[in-house]
Amino acid sequence: METLPEVPHQLEPLIRQIGPALYELGQGFREDMRVPARIVADSELLQQMVQDRSVPQLVNVTTLPGIQGFAIGMPDMHEGYGFPVGGVAGTALPDGVISPGGIGFDINCGVRLLATGLRHEDVKEVLPEVAHDLARSIPTGFGRHGRLSLAPEQMDRVLTEGVPYLVDELGLGGPEDVDYLEASGCLDGADTAKVSVRARERGHDQLGTLGGGNHFLEVQRVERVLDPEAAPALGLFEGQLTVLIHTGSRGLGHQVCTDAVRTMDRALAREGIRLVDRQLACAPLSSAEGQDYFAAMCAAANFAWANRQVLTHRVREVFRRWFGDRSAAWPRIVYDVAHNIAKLEPHGGQRLCVHRKGATRAFGPGHPELPAAYHQVGQPVFIPGSMGTASFVLVGKAAAEAISLSSACHGAGRRLSRAASKRQVVGSELRAALNRQGIAVECPSNAELAEEAPLAYKDVERVVDVVEAAGIARKVARLVPLAVLKG
Amino acid sequence: MESGTHQFEPHVSEVQLRISGTGLPELFEEAGYALAELMLGEAPLPQPSPESAVERVALVAADTEALLVDWLNELIARSDLTKRVYTDLVVDEFQERSLRAHVRGVSPLVLKTAVKAATFHGLELNEHDDGFTATVVLDV
Repeated sequence: METLPEVPHQLEPLIRQIGPALYELGQGFREDMRVPARIVADSELLQQMVQDRSVPQLVNVTTLPGIQGFAIGMPDMHEGYGFPVGGVAGTALPDGVISPGGIGFDINCGVRLLATGLRHEDVKEVLPEVAHDLARSIPTGFGRHGRLSLAPEQMDRVLTEGVPYLVDELGLGGPEDVDYLEASGCLDGADTAKVSVRARERGHDQLGTLGGGNHFLEVQRVERVLDPEAAPALGLFEGQLTVLIHTGSRGLGHQVCTDAVRTMDRALAREGIRLVDRQLACAPLSSAEGQDYFAAMCAAANFAWANRQVLTHRVREVFRRWFGDRSAAWPRIVYDVAHNIAKLEPHGGQRLCVHRKGATRAFGPGHPELPAAYHQVGQPVFIPGSMGTASFVLVGKAAAEAISLSSACHGAGRRLSRAASKRQVVGSELRAALNRQGIAVECPSNAELAEEAPLAYKDVERVVDVVEAAGIARKVARLVPLAVLKG
Repeated sequence: MESGTHQFEPHVSEVQLRISGTGLPELFEEAGYALAELMLGEAPLPQPSPESAVERVALVAADTEALLVDWLNELIARSDLTKRVYTDLVVDEFQERSLRAHVRGVSPLVLKTAVKAATFHGLELNEHDDGFTATVVLDV
C-alpha cells in the first residue's frame, strides 16, 4: 500500500489511462479508498492538475460511505476544499451519505444562457451603452441589494416553489421559461422549516443580485456554429446576440451550507464516520441530519434558480428599453444548469445521490427530464471561458451516464491563485486590452479584474476538446464576449 | 512584541490564511483582522467611528478548531447582514469551546473580496513555546 505523496505531482506516474481522455487512480492506491478515482483529462490537463492538491482531494472523496463506482474529476478540476472543484460522486440511497462539502457553499451556483433574435452586427453601436445600463440595473458586489425585497411568506414560496412561483404569481417571466430550466427551476424536496432564520435573513434582499467573486454577466456573440444539426434545435445561429448569467444562491445558500457542515461535524461520531478531511462532513441521507440538509439544500437551490430568473427579468427590461418590444429583442432562455448541487438520479439501476461540485449535469438525447425541443439533441451544457476568452455550448451524450454519471465540466478551471494572477497581470492594462478587443468591461475594481485574468485559467478550448474526446458531450457553438459585468 | 500576525498563503481557488497569536484570544482577534483585511483589501485597517454600534458575539462549538471556524463564519454572516466589515474586535472571555466578544465595523462602499465562508479543510491549530498558530481555508 502506497502512502499519499506529499508533493502531489508525484501522483502522475501512478495514474493510468483507461479510455479516451479518461484516467484512473486505482482503489489500491490508498487503504481507505472504497472506489477508484477517475479523471477526465488529456496529458497536459493532467499535468496541471497534479501541480495542486486536487487529486488527493478526489482520493478523499472516494472514502465517503456509500460511494458507488468511482469518484470522478472533470477536465477543469482544481484544488478546492472537501471535494475538488470539478468533482463528482454518487452515493447509494438510502444510507449513502450526503456531504455539504461535496456541493459547496454557493448552492446551485449555475449558468443560464439567454438568446435573442438580434444580430450583433445590427446593434453593435449601442452595445457599450446597453452594457452600462445592465451594470446600473443589476446589483453586484457588496452592500447592493436587489430591488425585490421579499415578505416572509413570499420568501417561503420562493424557497418551496422556485421559479414557477415568480412566473405565475409575480409575473417575472413567462410560463415557457420554466420548461428550459434544469428541474423546471424547482426541486420538490424543499422544506423552509429546515432553513435557518439567519439564512433567510441573509437572503431576504439578495434576490436579483449577481454577487462578487467569479460571478458575472456577459453579453456575447455566437461566433461559430460547430454542430449545424444541434444549433438550430437550441435556436442558435452565427452572429446572434446572447447573454450568459453566472451566479448562485448568495448569502442564503452560504448560510445553509455553513449550518449543515456544523451540524454534521457534530454528528460524525454518532454515525461512526471517520473522515480524512473534516470539510467532507456528511451524514447518511436517511438520517435526520441528512434529510434536514437535503431539504434546506433544495430550498437554497430554488432560491438560486429564482435569483437567475429575476436577473433574466432585469436583462429583459434593459433590452426592451434599448430594442423595443419586437420579438427578436426578447432574450429567450436556452437553458439553465446548476453546477453546485446534489440530485437524486437513477444510474446503472441504482438510485444515487449525485454530488456535483463545480460540475454540470449532461443528460444525453431522449432523457425524460429534457424539454421536448431538446429530446433529439441532448441537454445543453455551458462551459464559460475566463474573462475575454470564448465560451462554449455543448449538448450531453448518452454515453456520459457510464463515463461520468452524466456530468460535464463547468468552466475552464483555475490554474493560478488569485495572488499569483495579480502578480502577473496589471488590472488597468487588462481592462485596456479587453477594451481594445472590443469588450466593454463593467467592473469597479482593477485588482479584482486582474484576479480573474485569462492567464489564471486553463485553456477553455482544450478543456472543451477533452469533454468531447471523452464522449461526454459534443460541441455546438463557440461564443465570444462583447461586454462583461463583474461583481 | 505583536500579539498576533497573519499571512495569506497560496491556494489555487480559495484563500488560505495562516494566523499566529501569543494566546488563543489574540489568535482569534488576529483571524478577524485578517478577514477584514481580505474583505477590504487594505491595511492598516480603517477604524470604526466612536459612535459606531457595538455588537456582542457569543459562541459555543464542538472544539477549539471548530470555534475558530464558527468565529470567522459569524463575522462573515454579520457582514452580509449589516454590510459592515469588522475592524475592531475584542475577545472578552475565552474557553476551550466557547467565547464572548464585542465587535465594531466600518461600512465600505465596495468590497475587495467577497468571502463566502470559513471551511474545515486543512484546518490546523497548534500550540508552540511562544503561542499558537492556525491555518484556515476561506471560500472566496
